[in-house]
Amino acid sequence: MSFAYLLRRILTSIPTVLFVVFVVFIVIHLVPGDVVDMMLGTQNYLTKEQIEQLYKQYGLDKPLIVQFGVWLKNLFTLNFGTSLRTGRRVIDLIFDRFPVTLELSVLSMFFATVIGIPLGIVAAIKKNSFVDGLVRVIGLIGLSSPSFWVGAILIVIFSGTFKGFNIFGYVHLREDFLRNLQVMFLPSLTLGLMLSAQIMRMTRSSMLDVLQQEYIRTAKAKGVSYSQLIAKHALKNALIPIVTLSGIQLGYLLAGTIVIENMFALPGLGRLLLQAVNERDYPVIQFVVMFIAMLIVVLNILIDFVYTLIDPRVELR
Amino acid sequence: MRKFLLVFLTLLLAVGIFAQKLGGKLVIAMETEPVGLDPHLVTAFASHRVLENVYDGLLRYGENLQLVPNIAEEFQVIDPYTIVFKIRENVKFHDGTPLTVEDVLFSFERILNPDTKSPAAAFYQDVESIKAIGDNRIEFKLKKPMASALLPNFAGVNSSIVSKKFVESGKNLQLETNGTGPFYLAEYVPGNYIVLKKNPHYFVKNQPYLDEIRIVFMPEEVSRVSALKNGDVDIAKINEPLNVKQFPEGRFKIYRSPVLSYYLIGINTKRKPFDDPQVRNALNYAINREAIIKTVAFGEGVVTGPLSPMVQPWALLPKDFDEYTYNPTKAKQLLAQAGYPNGFEFEIVTSQRYNFDKVAQVIQAQLAEVGVRAKINLVEWGIFIKRWRESDFDAFISMNSGSIEPDIQFYRTFHSKGSTNVFLYSNPRVDELLELGRSTVDTAKRKEIYDELQRLLVKESPIIFLYSANQIFVSNASVEGFKLLPNESLIFLRETYKK
Repeated sequence: MSFAYLLRRILTSIPTVLFVVFVVFIVIHLVPGDVVDMMLGTQNYLTKEQIEQLYKQYGLDKPLIVQFGVWLKNLFTLNFGTSLRTGRRVIDLIFDRFPVTLELSVLSMFFATVIGIPLGIVAAIKKNSFVDGLVRVIGLIGLSSPSFWVGAILIVIFSGTFKGFNIFGYVHLREDFLRNLQVMFLPSLTLGLMLSAQIMRMTRSSMLDVLQQEYIRTAKAKGVSYSQLIAKHALKNALIPIVTLSGIQLGYLLAGTIVIENMFALPGLGRLLLQAVNERDYPVIQFVVMFIAMLIVVLNILIDFVYTLIDPRVELR
Repeated sequence: MRKFLLVFLTLLLAVGIFAQKLGGKLVIAMETEPVGLDPHLVTAFASHRVLENVYDGLLRYGENLQLVPNIAEEFQVIDPYTIVFKIRENVKFHDGTPLTVEDVLFSFERILNPDTKSPAAAFYQDVESIKAIGDNRIEFKLKKPMASALLPNFAGVNSSIVSKKFVESGKNLQLETNGTGPFYLAEYVPGNYIVLKKNPHYFVKNQPYLDEIRIVFMPEEVSRVSALKNGDVDIAKINEPLNVKQFPEGRFKIYRSPVLSYYLIGINTKRKPFDDPQVRNALNYAINREAIIKTVAFGEGVVTGPLSPMVQPWALLPKDFDEYTYNPTKAKQLLAQAGYPNGFEFEIVTSQRYNFDKVAQVIQAQLAEVGVRAKINLVEWGIFIKRWRESDFDAFISMNSGSIEPDIQFYRTFHSKGSTNVFLYSNPRVDELLELGRSTVDTAKRKEIYDELQRLLVKESPIIFLYSANQIFVSNASVEGFKLLPNESLIFLRETYKK
C-alpha cells in the first residue's frame, strides 16, 4: 500500500464523512422537540424572553445551514464543542466512552471468530452430515435470536449460578484487570454468539466453494496431509469473504451497541449517543456521528490492507 | 460494684449498637443518571436524587413530609408577608469554608437572576425583597400574603445554598459541586457511576452513617434485578411490580411507598367536543381507576383526586367525589345529554415512558364501552414535549409531580394564566379560588377554599386524575435505616447503614 494510495483514500472519504454528518444534522434538527424543550420538560418555568435567550445562547435561532457552517468552522479550529446538557467537553466524552466500546468490539469479534470459523469449517468438511445439520440449525437459532433476549438469558443464568462472578460494575482495564474481564465477558459473549452465526455460515459456504476448486484436488493428488490441506490451501483462500464480513461486523460494533451497553450498564459510545439523541444534545450527536463515520472509513482501509496480506494477488493502487 | 458493672455493660452495649451504625459502603442501582449538577438549574429527576444529598436548602422534608429546619435552624412566619430564617452557625461547605448569611443571600440572588434561568425563580416571583438582619438572620418580604404557601419551596433542591466564593471563582457548577450536605461528590464517571463520600464537616452530629455511597446507573430493569440477586449492588429501584416476587423475604427487604406524582389524562379544553365541561365530566364515570391500577401496576398504587390522599389536611378522598364511582350507564347518559348519544372519536397522545402506553390502552378499552373511540398516538418523548408545550393534542396521558402544598400543586396548572396550563383551561371561579387560597392564612378557611376548588376541578375535569403508583426499592438484608418519602426523595440515605 503506497502512501499516495492512503492519502487518496483518506481525502476521498472526507466528503463521505461530511455528508453523513450533514444528513444526521438535518434529520436531528427536523425531529420535533429540541434541546430547550427537553431541558424544560413538562415544566414551564421560564418566560418567553428567557426561552428566546436560550435559543440565542445555543445559536439555535439561526437558520440550519448557518448552524452547520458554524459547527464546521469550529471543527476546523479544533473546537469540538461542549454538551448543552451537562457542560462536559465532547472530546472528553469520546475519550471516556470509546475505549469501552473498542474493548467490547474486539472481545466480541474474538468470540465470534473463535466460535464461528471452526464450526463453519467442520460443517463444510462434513457437508450434509448430522454434524453439518446440527451446526446449521444452531447457526439459524443464533441468527434469529435478538441480542436483548440472549443477553437477558445469560444474565439470569450467571447471576444465579456463579456467585462472586462480577456481571456488572464496569471498571477500566488499568484499574482492575480481572474485574474488567469478568464484566466484559457476558456482553461480548452475547454479541459474539450472535455474530458467530453469520461467520459460521459464511465460512461454511466459502469453504465449500474453495474445496471444489481444482487446486485442492491437485494438492490432494500431491499427497498434502489433510490438516494442511484444510488450513493452508482451503481456509486461507476462503478467508476473503470472511474478513469482509468480520469488517462489516466490527464496524457495526464500533458504532456502539446500544442494547447491549444498556443491558450490561456499560458506559460505551452507543449509550452516549442514545442519551444525546434523547436529550437532543446536538454537539454530542454531531461529533459522535462524525467520529463513528471516520472509524468506519479507517476500518475499510484496514480491511483492504488485510486483503493484500491474505491474497498477494490483491494490490492496492 | 455490681451496679457499676451493670452501668458499664449497658454503656458498652449502647456504644456497640451505635458503633455498628457507623461506616460501610452502599452500592445503589438507579435507572437514570444526572443531567447536569448545578442545583439551581437541574430539572432531571436523577440530578435531584444525587444533589439532595450533596447540597442543603434552608429547610428540608422530614419523614412525614413535614418541613424541618436545615441550614436555617429556625424559621418564623412573622405575618403572611414576612418569613424570617435564622441561619445555623458552624455549617461548613465541603471545601472547608464556613457558610455565612452572604452565601444564603448570594444563592437567592443567583436563583432570581434571569440570566441564570433557574426553574426556582418562578417560585419566588412574588418575593419583594430578601435582606440580612444582623449576621445570622434573613428576611423574605413578599408582595402577596402567601408565606405558608411559599415555605415548601425552600426545601427543594433548586433552592440549595451554594458558596458565593466558589461560584465567583469561576467554577462551573454543572461540573463541580461544593455543598454543605451529608455527602460530597468524590467521583463521577458519566455513564457508569457516581461516588458520594461522607462529609466530615456535616453539621448534624454523627451523620451520615455511611462512609460511601456508590450510585451505579443501570438503565435496564433486568440488570438491576440480577445485580441485586448477584450481590453486585446492595439496593435498587424496581419499576415492574411483578419483579418484586423474585426477591424472597428474609434474604431481601422490600420498601414501598405511595408517591405524590400522579397519572393523568390531560384534555385540551378548547377542542371539540372537550370544550363542553359536561363531556369531560362524563369521561370520569366511564373510567375505572381501580381496574387501571390492577392491570397496569399490578395493584401497586392508589386512586387519587386532585391532591394525593396522603396530603392531609388538604386532600379530599376519592370517595368524596361522585365521579369516581365507575358508572358507564351514567357516562352514556351524560354524553347523550351533551349531544353525543353515539359517542365520538378523539386522539390520545402519549409516549412509552412509565407505562403511559399501557394506561392508554386500558382507558381506550374502557371508553369504548360507552361508545367513545380513542385513537392512541405513541410518540417519542421529545415529540411529546413539543406537542404538550404547544397544546397540540385532543388529550394526552402523562404524569405530573405532586406537592404537599395545594398552591404549588394547583396554581401553575389550573390558573388561566398558569405556566403549565397547557389544557387552556379557564374558569373565573377557579382563578378566584386560587388567588384566595394563596393569600389566606387561616387554615380552616384555606381548607374550605381548596375543598371547593377540588370539587370544581373534578366536576370540570380539564385533567382527569387517575392514580399514584407505588415506588418500590429492594435491598439485601444487610441494609438498615433506609426510608422512602412520597416525594421520591432519597435524603434518608444519611440515616442508612449496613449491618
